[in-house]
Amino acid sequence: MGKAAKFRLETCFDFLMLVLGIVIAAVSWGYGFGSFGRPGPGLYPFFIGAAIAIFAFFILVSDLRSDTGKPVLDKEGAVTLILMTVTFCLWIVAMPLLGYVVVTLLAAFAFCKILKLEGWWRPLAVSGGTALFIYLLFDYWMYIDLPRGILG
Amino acid sequence: MEGLGLLVNGFVNSFTVVNLVACFVGALIGTIVGVMPGLGPTATMALMLPFTLSYGATTGLIMMTGVWYGAMYGGSTTSILVNIPGEAASVVTCLDGYQMSKKGRAGAALALVAIGSFVAGTIGILGLQFFAPLLGNAALSFGPPEFLCFMIFAFVLLSNLSAEAPLKGALMIAFGLFLSTIGINPMDSYPRFTFGVEKLMLGIDFLPVAMGLFGVSEILSIALEKYVRPQINRVRLRELYPSREEARRSVYPALRGSILGFFMGLLPGPCTVISTFVSYALEKKISKNPGEFGHGAVEGVVGPESANNSAVMGSMIPLLTLGIPFAAPSAIMLAGLRMHNVEPGPMLFTSHPDVFWTFIAAMYLGNIMLLILNLPLVGAFAKIAMIRPQILMPIISVICLVGVYSVRNSLFDVWVMIIAGVVGLFLRKWKYPIAPFIIGVVLGPTTENSLRQTFLMFRGDLSLVADRPISVTFLALAAAFLAFKFAAPFFGKKFPLKIEEESKL
Repeated sequence: MGKAAKFRLETCFDFLMLVLGIVIAAVSWGYGFGSFGRPGPGLYPFFIGAAIAIFAFFILVSDLRSDTGKPVLDKEGAVTLILMTVTFCLWIVAMPLLGYVVVTLLAAFAFCKILKLEGWWRPLAVSGGTALFIYLLFDYWMYIDLPRGILG
Repeated sequence: MEGLGLLVNGFVNSFTVVNLVACFVGALIGTIVGVMPGLGPTATMALMLPFTLSYGATTGLIMMTGVWYGAMYGGSTTSILVNIPGEAASVVTCLDGYQMSKKGRAGAALALVAIGSFVAGTIGILGLQFFAPLLGNAALSFGPPEFLCFMIFAFVLLSNLSAEAPLKGALMIAFGLFLSTIGINPMDSYPRFTFGVEKLMLGIDFLPVAMGLFGVSEILSIALEKYVRPQINRVRLRELYPSREEARRSVYPALRGSILGFFMGLLPGPCTVISTFVSYALEKKISKNPGEFGHGAVEGVVGPESANNSAVMGSMIPLLTLGIPFAAPSAIMLAGLRMHNVEPGPMLFTSHPDVFWTFIAAMYLGNIMLLILNLPLVGAFAKIAMIRPQILMPIISVICLVGVYSVRNSLFDVWVMIIAGVVGLFLRKWKYPIAPFIIGVVLGPTTENSLRQTFLMFRGDLSLVADRPISVTFLALAAAFLAFKFAAPFFGKKFPLKIEEESKL
């Protein structure tokens, strides 16, 4: 998994940066390069794109030549990452509908369970306390009006 | 005398309930963050940005500096008691601090570090108070070419000092500069890289990116680690008294560390971290008993801890006088000040002198608060290190979510934060430094303005830069640094200032 995992992830990222740099330079050229005496809107990002492409190219070459790849995530880590990210995303989707207090409570509970906080009482206490703290902080202290959803 | 009058005025302004509370809260949160292995000062400052918006620029600046400063104080606690650095600038403290702890001198080490940090903080503030207005006045003569050349010099140093591989640092700076070009360009009102998406017209907001890269990625990183419960040595109040010999041996390292740290703070990159390594090396070199280092030498604890506190103040100079942050925490501060419509730079001392002098006065007060907090409460702070991430991370996660949403009531910002968080996690894993990226984002508009104005000034003839001595000096320094860097291996020299900061921001 060692070298292969590195190739799949880090090398792909380096390659993506190389492509991104080229795309930035190309799109910038389209905005109008102007001249050095009268620079257009594309001049600065063109140089930035070119720099990204050049740096990414050398990093990519160096990565391909290196053989010290280590897996970035093990299976358990990958599952934790996916679950954490999904919980973050669900907060965004559900918050306008259900209100920030309820969704924050549920999200905090989910985070506790994903991070393997034992039992039910502790996660409930942590998530309940957090939701109450957030409510007091934003509603009573900072007077910020956030979506209340079903709680009105 | 004018400076003294302004400082007195600063003290008057800082003695408001809001500013004092901000100073105390910042220092307290900073110390707690410093004590806990995991979340670092940069992440915490990014998380706190939304909460400072309800108050003025000065209050926000005081609170955030308090966090940074407090983290430097608190970071040593776990280094000494548990052999786990609370934050990156306390890694060196583990070497001799934990050895002192094993010899039953943990209390003395903690007390000497707190006093050394206080001395260093005070010297750092004095330096800032003295040098910042002077340099601010000098910077008034800077035109666009000088700013551009200074930025090039800073980027060269930053990419080299903050990453294991300088090319990765350079790539991150360039990517940050690119991100800042998204949206309508204020110079010619031309939309760039928006691809018709209305949300992108105003550009990518800094706050969600910073909170994602520093906050969410840190949370994810901690979530993936295996938690090992630390064993903490107990410290009683009466054990805090250092012996006369220990106190005597600490005086000069504290002073040397303070002065060294202050000037190291002027370097781009993780200045607080670098200052501790340099201070440790210096103390070991000039010590009469270098063999004692690594076995509980008090100089090896006090010197570096003084240096990192002083470096915080040193790094405020480029931020406040030029508006150019050299480290990730000062980039966050710059973003915070901009949110309050305060632009640091040479004009700060004439347009917003109250901000600068109130900040200086509050730092004197904060330094005293930190000393009072850290000495008697060291046992309580040590217990904070025992809080498990399974309890802490859910709380911080939802604070990130609600916090970033509350700034602009924008779910788009929350998406940006999460994407930045996941990307940031992988960047950390692949040893891409995040600090140069965020500094690139913050400095992008200034860099572009300087570049375009320079081109316009010289009508495209860049050889005219040679007629500007300050610009030439910065370019020569950058070239000399690169030449030294590339030539060093040919002469069999290692380049020692390669500090990996991303383990803990």
